[in-house]
Amino acid sequence: MNHKGISFNDMARLTDEPLFKLQVENLMHVPYLGEEPPVKPPPDKWLEKYDLSLDWHSPVALPLPKTEEEKLRLVKGFLNGLQKLFDPQNNWTFLKILRLTTDYCMRCQTCSEACHVYMASGQNEYYRPTFRAEILRRLYKKFFTPSGKLLGSLVGADIDLNYKMAIRLMESAYRCNVCRRCAQVCPVGVDNALISREIRKVFSQELGIAPKELYEKGTRQHLKIGSSTGMSVAGFHEAIEFIEDEIGEKTGKSIKIPIDKKGADILLIHNAGEYLSWPENPGAFAVLFDAAGINYTLSSEPVGYDGVNYGLFCDDVELARIGLQHVMIAKKLGVKKIVVGECGHATKTLCVITDRVFPGDLSTSEIPRESCFPLFWEIVKSGVVKLDPSRNNFPTTLHDSCNIVRLMGVVKPQRHVLRAISPQFREMVPNGPYNYCCGGGSGFAIMNELNFPQWRKKVSERMKTKQILEAFKDVLDPSIEKCVIAACSNCKGAMRDLIGHYGLWDKYRITYTGLVELIVNAMVDLPKPYFEMEFISGE
Amino acid sequence: MEVFVSYLGWVSVAVFLFMAVYRVIQYSSLPLFLRWELYPVPTEPRHHYGGSYMEEVDYVKKPRHHQRIGGLLDMASEVFLLKKVKEHNRFGMWPFSFSMHWGIYLFFLWILLLLVETLFKLEFLVPLTNVCGVIALFIGAFGSLGLFLKRIGNDKLSLYTTPDDYFNLLFLMAIFGTGIISWSTVDPGFLYTRALINQVIFFESPPVALPFWVWLNLLLFELFLIYMPFSKLFHYVAKYFTFDKIFWDDAFKIKDSPADKQCVKQLGYVVTWSGPHIVPGKTWLDEAQIIEGGDSK
Repeated sequence: MNHKGISFNDMARLTDEPLFKLQVENLMHVPYLGEEPPVKPPPDKWLEKYDLSLDWHSPVALPLPKTEEEKLRLVKGFLNGLQKLFDPQNNWTFLKILRLTTDYCMRCQTCSEACHVYMASGQNEYYRPTFRAEILRRLYKKFFTPSGKLLGSLVGADIDLNYKMAIRLMESAYRCNVCRRCAQVCPVGVDNALISREIRKVFSQELGIAPKELYEKGTRQHLKIGSSTGMSVAGFHEAIEFIEDEIGEKTGKSIKIPIDKKGADILLIHNAGEYLSWPENPGAFAVLFDAAGINYTLSSEPVGYDGVNYGLFCDDVELARIGLQHVMIAKKLGVKKIVVGECGHATKTLCVITDRVFPGDLSTSEIPRESCFPLFWEIVKSGVVKLDPSRNNFPTTLHDSCNIVRLMGVVKPQRHVLRAISPQFREMVPNGPYNYCCGGGSGFAIMNELNFPQWRKKVSERMKTKQILEAFKDVLDPSIEKCVIAACSNCKGAMRDLIGHYGLWDKYRITYTGLVELIVNAMVDLPKPYFEMEFISGE
Repeated sequence: MEVFVSYLGWVSVAVFLFMAVYRVIQYSSLPLFLRWELYPVPTEPRHHYGGSYMEEVDYVKKPRHHQRIGGLLDMASEVFLLKKVKEHNRFGMWPFSFSMHWGIYLFFLWILLLLVETLFKLEFLVPLTNVCGVIALFIGAFGSLGLFLKRIGNDKLSLYTTPDDYFNLLFLMAIFGTGIISWSTVDPGFLYTRALINQVIFFESPPVALPFWVWLNLLLFELFLIYMPFSKLFHYVAKYFTFDKIFWDDAFKIKDSPADKQCVKQLGYVVTWSGPHIVPGKTWLDEAQIIEGGDSK
């Protein structure tokens, strides 16, 4: 892409034409991939109805504003929200980090190449991690600081704000996975990924605009029905019965999954997407915990049977509401702690992000919250469950969930487990806290509005595709079946996406699974493999 | 003019210190935020692979080990070596940035040595002071000029660089440049500079008129001291907050701790966001307990 002539005010162009159109030939080369499907343009009817003026894609599907009043409302709402973002009462949750990030970015671009989206796009300037952040910084300066008002463009307060700028900036905030890899390499500790989240917050908390999978079908549905999947309490009980039957069929064991057991040691909370898309995952938890004699329970209370918290991605108020329900349910059950199943954002939200949202008796010191990985390693290490690693004798690699590894520092337990149960485990590069996001992070994996899945597969999931192929480069022969371990629901969604889109199962026999399935697969007392080497497309 | 430089010297130090303290208080008094740590956290004993205490079952019940030295070493590698710029900047900025930063550090050290020398009549420091000054001027000028040219010559960098960013570099170039001119033309042993420093401290007029370049150099430095806390050049203090107080702040909340009490206070703040799911006029704590709030967006 030619960078000359690009300016921040391109984002304010009063045209419905996109600033650029994605083309496969401009994207980062992925070795071993061969030909890939081209980028399909959006149908005309979408272009007439929705604003796709950033890059011809959209997860938000915002209808084109028709009247001047609608346009003005958007601009005014954005400015009101921007002001509240810098107000201690309205944004105590992130103000200090935001202020430092706004005030002290040195514009050295050291962070750029840490960003998988920027790199995968072929270093498209509009996706550079500093591009949207710089616009927000300059807008804030222009409208809310004395130096910006007095000195204008001399201090960079030179951005034109109109409804197109507001819309494109919001869309741009949904081209960042908020994986914070950019912040990790910043010499000043500036967090441009946070700015993406804060831009999203302006639109969600002030204007009520967010991808429907995060809000309408996300947090709202979660709070009103009980789960972001739309699963009711009755649906949850049906899912559990189904899983118990499946366990019986697969293992010959008759396991009753404990629900609402007061005084259990652990409240186990899964991402409810697991019950619907990957029921073998909660099933494997049940088999393993039963074999290890873990005293645990699930909750059947609304919200309590779904560990997701999509408020994390764009809305602090919804974040607090869902998090509070989770912790209150644990308190009511009288459990000793909460353990979160294989879901990265749910784990980070409960263990870290909401730590300072709940006071007194709901503090972490009173109701501890933990990732399931350390518990897995305790079980495997203890030898209480007999495991035979030769049952997993195929090449595996581990995809690290950013939320659990980079943002919680839980790095080794899952590796210890894999080394104990998977003889052909190899690391992808980079890994651990320096990993690349799967491309489904910050809600992307579930955001399927319009043609956003195409953007996700082509751009945000591209780096992970490259990493997987490189990790398996010596065993790409399709006669060798291989498996990516992705112990996170959103990451699994991304794996399903990219394996399907790039044909990695058909070409190379690469599939994916969670971690607990592989542990259970190694259990010596199971009559047949628990994990089936297959690939089921999500499409 | 020397008298003005003399008075301004005291004023600039006072403004610098006052503003530095003010800025620190300003950032310190911003509300307690949600935990937003980023690994590796160098104060963690497991930082060599990016691990944390949360790798342990029942971590809440176990003692925490905090390695202050890890944080200090990590911070030192950033401040003195600009490690992240060296490893991750693809624009070749590190040699220039490294030179400029060391130019600034040594310039401050040079001024400090001149003050100490003058105050305590420590003549044995003269060779060290002179070498320090010359190195500071040359590497500082090289670094700031190099960064200026990098930014102006690369369209990807220039897109983001604002006039005040260029001004900062020009300001530094002017300080180092006038120093070089002064040293190379009229003051090779920094004798005039010492006379000026003597005047700044004791208000004693030098026996002869000081050359233009000597007092201009010191005047620019004094103005720089005043300007620095108002500019992004203050990022050396910001780093303390971004790293130590945010990225490395990984402590979980304990009931009735100061953090807990602060959270209680902040949960009492009133939310005025206007989204349809937000019930106006409620505190954060009230909002968090509302399940049915709002309509569809």
